[in-house]
Amino acid sequence: MSGYETPETQDDSRFWDAAAEGMLVFQRCDRCAFVRWPAAGVCPECLDRGYTWEEVAPRGTVWSYAVYHRAYAGYLRERVPYDVALVELECGVRLLTTLTGFDDDVDPMGAAVVARFEAVGEHERVPVFGPA
Amino acid sequence: MAAAQLGGAIRGRTAIVAAGNTAQGTIPGISADELAVEGLRITLAEAGIDKSEIDGLITCKSFGGFGIDTEIGRLAGLNPAYSATLDYGTCNFSLHLACAAIDAGLASVVAIAYGTNQRSAGNKFGHPLGRQDEASVYGFLNVAGPAAMAFRRHQHLYGTTEADLAEVSVSQRRYAVDNPLAIFREPTSVEDYLAAPYLVAPLRRPDLCMISDGAACLIVARADRAAELTDKPVHVMGIAQQTGLRDRQNADQWLRPWIQQVAERIYPAAGIEREAVDALYIQDPTSIWVLQMLEYYGFVEPGGVGEAFRSGAVGHGGRLPLNTNGGQLSEAYMWGFLHLCEAVRQLRGEAGARQIEGLRTAQYCSTFGFMKAASTILSTEAS
Repeated sequence: MSGYETPETQDDSRFWDAAAEGMLVFQRCDRCAFVRWPAAGVCPECLDRGYTWEEVAPRGTVWSYAVYHRAYAGYLRERVPYDVALVELECGVRLLTTLTGFDDDVDPMGAAVVARFEAVGEHERVPVFGPA
Repeated sequence: MAAAQLGGAIRGRTAIVAAGNTAQGTIPGISADELAVEGLRITLAEAGIDKSEIDGLITCKSFGGFGIDTEIGRLAGLNPAYSATLDYGTCNFSLHLACAAIDAGLASVVAIAYGTNQRSAGNKFGHPLGRQDEASVYGFLNVAGPAAMAFRRHQHLYGTTEADLAEVSVSQRRYAVDNPLAIFREPTSVEDYLAAPYLVAPLRRPDLCMISDGAACLIVARADRAAELTDKPVHVMGIAQQTGLRDRQNADQWLRPWIQQVAERIYPAAGIEREAVDALYIQDPTSIWVLQMLEYYGFVEPGGVGEAFRSGAVGHGGRLPLNTNGGQLSEAYMWGFLHLCEAVRQLRGEAGARQIEGLRTAQYCSTFGFMKAASTILSTEAS
């Protein structure tokens, strides 16, 4: 309509498609090997544009987590209370996720975790993390 | 550029000559832009300054994109020599831009104005933080989420307790009792705090600020113009900033260790030692920000915040008054503008029932989310 070409933007669909198949994949810089997330067309370490999507080990530790007792959007009303966690993966990426499989009396802070691929809300298979 | 080469020492070159605000709370039937102009009108009227004196206008957008200079200038009937709009709030960044513009000779009397109607608009700040996909999938909404994660991480590293964190909001509320502008004025206790239910554990309602409708404005002037406009100028002694623009790619996004670099620059820039700060202002959309900045600026040891309040080192009744307006946790969000208004009033001896005697130097510390930090040191004396 405007005559301008829409620039190609990076989307995260490769990550979610891989998760549906039970894999964690991120972009690894072809030049300096930095593993980055969120998806981007340029490496924040060396500014090179070349990258390859690569499967990484689905292991890490719980960096922190929070437990939502309030739904800040309608679609979350039936989910409260729910937790949101940041897991520090062995590849260096910190991934926003949720935790599963911890006993109520266990504090998961710092725990070694491994990815599982399960339903969250209406999403059929997304990465969640449980005890390693 | 190495930090050591940065200046920020604008001691005596600019001063705040007026600070003003509208009421806070629910103010229906007036747009955010009109509120900003009302804040400007009140500030000029209280200071006895005519709008024709203004040759610089700096505005910042409220949530939703309102408050751009072209709109505020149109409504206020201004054609200033210089104008600009920041895409993000917290008045430290507006103040620093005003000082820079004045120092560069682009303007001599600059109004920094902010207005918002987010409370009437019913904004619940339910938008996702971080990448849309991840945040939506996992329900990572509202600033309470990252703040809660930051606090749990802090607890993990330093053994900080929820009772320690309670001290922040309880102390600030004690000031708010004497602040007619504050939305929350009922005194609270650590016991009240601990009895409140979690919103996003480990945070509770008292840990989060109140969104309001309202406006605030400050007038910043070149030193010679300041002397003509007021007999009580509040001098800008030094400014410093640091970004964390890498955001998710930062080493510790929620803990924001890069704030320390502002702390390393601000005291040399102002030419004072930390100990010379008589009152401290910390922008506090959540109580965690206060905890983080007390540590990063070196006022307490990591993990020592609770004890610092209990021992009387900081806070209400303590040796270092902190957020004497009640902060955003009691007063109103207003993107940090009211902290600076309060600092100006305290330094001028115009803070009414909550006036702290003998204040000469105040420091204001703020952040823009997880991407920017800034600090300003203000003084009643020019050098």
